[in-house]
Amino acid sequence: MATVTETERGALTHPDVTSHAEVNEDVLSILSRPGKWWWILFGLASAGVGVLAFSWGYQLIFGIGATGLNSPVGWGVYITTFVFWVGIAHSGTLISAILFLFRARWRQSIYRAAEAMTVFAVMTAGLFPLIHLGRAWHAYWLFPYPNERLLWPNFRSPLVWDVFAVTTYFTVSSIFFYLGSIPDLAAARDKARGLRRKLYEFAALGWRGTDREWHHFGKAYLFLAALATPLVLSVHSVVSWDFAMAIVPGWHATIFAPYFVAGAIFSGVAMVITLSVPIRKIFGLEKYLTVRHFDAMAKLCLVTGLIVFYAYLIEFFMAWYSGEDPERRVFWNRLWGHYWWSTWIMLICNGFIPIMLWFRRVRHSIAALFVISIFINIGMWFERYTIIVTSLSHEFMPFAWNVYRPSLTEMGIILGSFAWFAFWFLLFIRILPPVAISELKEVLPAPYRARKKQEGER
Amino acid sequence: MHDHVIPNEIPHRYLPRSRRGTLLCAALVAVGLIAFILRLVTDPDRAWQAYVSNWLFFAGIAQGAIILAAATTITKAKWDWPLRRVTLAFGAFLPIAFILFLPMLTLGENYFSWMHYMEHDEIVQKKAGYLNLPFLITRNVVGLLALFGLSLYFVYLGLRPDLGQVPASEYDDGGRRAWRERLTANWAGREREEVWSWRRMQALAPALVLVFAVVMSVVSIDYAMSLEPHWFSTLFPGWFFMGAFWGGIGAVAVGTVYLKAKDPIFDEHMSALQLHDLGKLVFAFSIFWMYLFWSQYIVIWYGKLPWEQEWMIHRAGAPWGTLSLLAILLCFVFPFAGLIGQRPKTNPRWLGAFTLLALIGLWLERYLLIAPSLYDGGPTITLWEPLIGLLFLGAFLWSVLWFLSTFPVLQIWQPMTAPEMVEAELAPSRDDTRVTERASEGAHST
Repeated sequence: MATVTETERGALTHPDVTSHAEVNEDVLSILSRPGKWWWILFGLASAGVGVLAFSWGYQLIFGIGATGLNSPVGWGVYITTFVFWVGIAHSGTLISAILFLFRARWRQSIYRAAEAMTVFAVMTAGLFPLIHLGRAWHAYWLFPYPNERLLWPNFRSPLVWDVFAVTTYFTVSSIFFYLGSIPDLAAARDKARGLRRKLYEFAALGWRGTDREWHHFGKAYLFLAALATPLVLSVHSVVSWDFAMAIVPGWHATIFAPYFVAGAIFSGVAMVITLSVPIRKIFGLEKYLTVRHFDAMAKLCLVTGLIVFYAYLIEFFMAWYSGEDPERRVFWNRLWGHYWWSTWIMLICNGFIPIMLWFRRVRHSIAALFVISIFINIGMWFERYTIIVTSLSHEFMPFAWNVYRPSLTEMGIILGSFAWFAFWFLLFIRILPPVAISELKEVLPAPYRARKKQEGER
Repeated sequence: MHDHVIPNEIPHRYLPRSRRGTLLCAALVAVGLIAFILRLVTDPDRAWQAYVSNWLFFAGIAQGAIILAAATTITKAKWDWPLRRVTLAFGAFLPIAFILFLPMLTLGENYFSWMHYMEHDEIVQKKAGYLNLPFLITRNVVGLLALFGLSLYFVYLGLRPDLGQVPASEYDDGGRRAWRERLTANWAGREREEVWSWRRMQALAPALVLVFAVVMSVVSIDYAMSLEPHWFSTLFPGWFFMGAFWGGIGAVAVGTVYLKAKDPIFDEHMSALQLHDLGKLVFAFSIFWMYLFWSQYIVIWYGKLPWEQEWMIHRAGAPWGTLSLLAILLCFVFPFAGLIGQRPKTNPRWLGAFTLLALIGLWLERYLLIAPSLYDGGPTITLWEPLIGLLFLGAFLWSVLWFLSTFPVLQIWQPMTAPEMVEAELAPSRDDTRVTERASEGAHST
């Protein structure tokens, strides 16, 4: 396009962004302008991290008895929240890898934030196996390392697969996140001063934006995207097998792997919506995160939500169809038993509320999407709670049935984990540009040749 | 990111009618029919097993191709513009598939083994609410009518605005003219028709996918899973219909390769980009097939519950194990090894050959879903199964070729043609809500 007229501007993905320099200015100003809301949120998050530290410290001193975990429910809200955060971590790689391969260009405004979210969500999830171990200082026993008595972890245990799957995922998503940020780190470097500049300079690896560098960057990104795509499926499949491999009724279902993956993407995209709405508001990014982006994310939620709902229905149907008493009882018990409220929260939040996303008016209302996304987050947490707790508390033998009640310590840790996640995320939006500057410019119309010098970009 | 240039005028877009092709298809149908009848006389149980597995395969891939069209409509894909008509062409088999389904309604206790169990087996008796013949027939007939009906309506919506733009020409013959007139009856003007069709397709496509998932789940439970009445797997229906979808993509890929070789005009428009993207889909869904297979297998293997393992053991052990292994090789190993990287995907022959291998693998998979549940002893696969398959293959090829030679192969009407340009044109005057709405609907794929 030689010139960009007013008419053509209406057709663009970001109609209100007029020049490349504007992108740099708007996005980079977030880094230097914390504002009142940021400090309030950061204060709250820090306090929450304090709660996390206190609760975990308490549990370390008093032992795992400080929790409500007991026979038969040995996996409670810790594993629930672990699965929840691993799930949240899924949208980042989906958006940065799979949507990249699908050439879905709407991803460019949100993918940086989604990737950051992925990394922090895995960091949060990673806490829970440690917390759940009780004696966290023995955590390294999970890793296979040569030792004198040839004691190896049991490789046939899905929990060990989990260690590998989650570690791999964390490594790859961090590299992906970092690689994609390099051009933007350079942009931040060019604007920063003093120590900040030194740090950005180091992190940007001397990026100058030459053709050669862009060429290599593009190739690396494509390869990494192709390699990361299977990870989107594998991680949550392995997490689902923590449950499905056991013959506990309500856990032992073949659909678990794809069902968990769909659920993970569902909750992950919902979390991206939950996070990007306030960011957009606080930092005035309305130009960059337009209604279209939210519409596309809402559609992604709708699709994955439908897969999840299909899985719920087929699970209930198969439990009945199986003709097995324990299986039938567990599912009956889910609906009408002691934990009925958890199941109904899951069904309503994940199955029925997303029905609203069928309507374009809802998808185009950012306030409505924000509310729906929070419901989905709640629903997805309760989905895992339902799966884990209702099945364990109601296994085969009636004498072993028992009710699990999370203790105050557990609540403190769950709450703290959200704060821990928010803490990192808030730091991130101050340190790294939360919107990918370089990718955004790819979809903006090219500037005039004559004006390029004035704008002095990069 | 590719920008697809979609031409406005392509003079000759019909696939020539081929008497030889029709005769060949008729011969295939005749051979298949004779084989089926002969088999029915000598060994009716095996005849029906072959019949049903062939039906599941061919009806599945025809429907899968329509679902590909629906999926690209939902995602507002642009890459597949020259393939749209080819994708829709497989819908022509659906009415035949329904007719071929009707004989399956006569199946009785020799096929539905749960009818035996129902008398004495307590667990199977608990399923009587679902496993009973009247309900089975009702839900399948109603479901398939709904699914095929919606699919055909979807095909109609895709055809109508395009046919309105086809002028009478020297290529017309009776059939082409008659169908064009029939499908463009009450023509309301080009722009209105386009908007109307486009809106309907947008609304119908998601519903079609939902109906597909539900109906195919029911069909797979009824005609494959319930044959071992103690066995159940929550992933089985999903695995089944994703296989059908993948088969549909494969059929479109093979069709595209065929058309490219057939005519230089099609060849020019179906470029390497389309082949590359089709190749990626065939490749990716082959991996996905394996993923679903594995997700189901490992849970059952690990759980080691007798009533779950039974199904796997029937297929993994003697005598079926070799065939199962072959199915995995054809469905996953060969396509994976053969289609990795860009060059094999853009080479038409290579892509066609490996997609055909995958389709054969899928055919074998469908057979293996059924036969090992009902039959042991004797040779696992004979010449009869492929021979009976010819009945379906002939009808399938004939219907697709008929469609492609009756309607233009390349669809000029492209609702997704650079939608941003449409919007750009209309941006200053937002008075005409009808057109602007349409433009904003089309603008997400940017």
